[in-house]
Amino acid sequence: MSLPKPMMRGLLAKRLRFHLPIAFTLALTAAIAFKYTVTEPKKQAYADFYKQYDAIKDFNAMREAGVFESVQPTGK
Amino acid sequence: MAHPSQLGFQDAASPVMEELLHFHDHALMIVFLISTFVLYIIVAMVTTKLTNKFILDSQEIEIIWTLLPAIILVLIALPSLRILYLMDEINDPHLTIKAMGHQWYWSYEYTDYEDLAFDSYMIPTQDLAPGQFRLLEADHRMVVPAESPIRVLISAEDVLHSWAVPSLGVKMDAVPGRLNQTAFIASRPGIFYGQCSEICGANHSFMPIVVEAVPLEHFENWSSLMLEDA
Repeated sequence: MSLPKPMMRGLLAKRLRFHLPIAFTLALTAAIAFKYTVTEPKKQAYADFYKQYDAIKDFNAMREAGVFESVQPTGK
Repeated sequence: MAHPSQLGFQDAASPVMEELLHFHDHALMIVFLISTFVLYIIVAMVTTKLTNKFILDSQEIEIIWTLLPAIILVLIALPSLRILYLMDEINDPHLTIKAMGHQWYWSYEYTDYEDLAFDSYMIPTQDLAPGQFRLLEADHRMVVPAESPIRVLISAEDVLHSWAVPSLGVKMDAVPGRLNQTAFIASRPGIFYGQCSEICGANHSFMPIVVEAVPLEHFENWSSLMLEDA
């Protein structure tokens, strides 16, 4: 017969209580996603590159390509 | 060197630049964290007509939004200071080279053992060979031994210049009347390009830096040849 009194106060606070945890979670997710899709793969890529890196072989390939000024290709 | 439509740094060719790259990723991660949070809050606030006109203060939220930024700043400062001190370490260089800035070319002096000095002018576009890079190539490159610590003493003969090679993580102002020191290790042999990084007149964009890192024995052969030609 008589309606229950509607909620008249604290509506903005209620909205904030709902949205703030989502904002924090989303922000943390973005940071973690960036870390594991960009930061860690890049570190790993550099580590992997230098693990198998042969400086002399790389130098000889560049030398034969004729890119150096101080060293001429051997012609091999 | 840079490539078209590049967004990030050039590939690191020195240990310091690798550290700087990883630190940049760390700082950018924090930037994305804050930006995502702020953007979400902005959207949440502009998409409502709800207001509260009666908030006067709140100790709890003041503490939170003071402490959280302070923690974030510490998380940025600690790796930053680590790299700063890493770059400043006494590194016992194997070779010292003086790089002098002029309008509008660089000159390099290798005076550790003999007196070797030469100028390094940009190769004009019309004189480039096929495969060479426009505005980046120089007629005489600064040749250094790879995988050796190199000290570079930088100064200028006329106006301010700046000696910068992004892939080596090096940039140091060339100030007339002042000797600035920097150091680097080229982690691998190769050719590393840079450009003058302080406005110095009409041809500021046309005085590039080219560092050629080769194994030590080839560096020694090169320096002997250069001394014979001098």
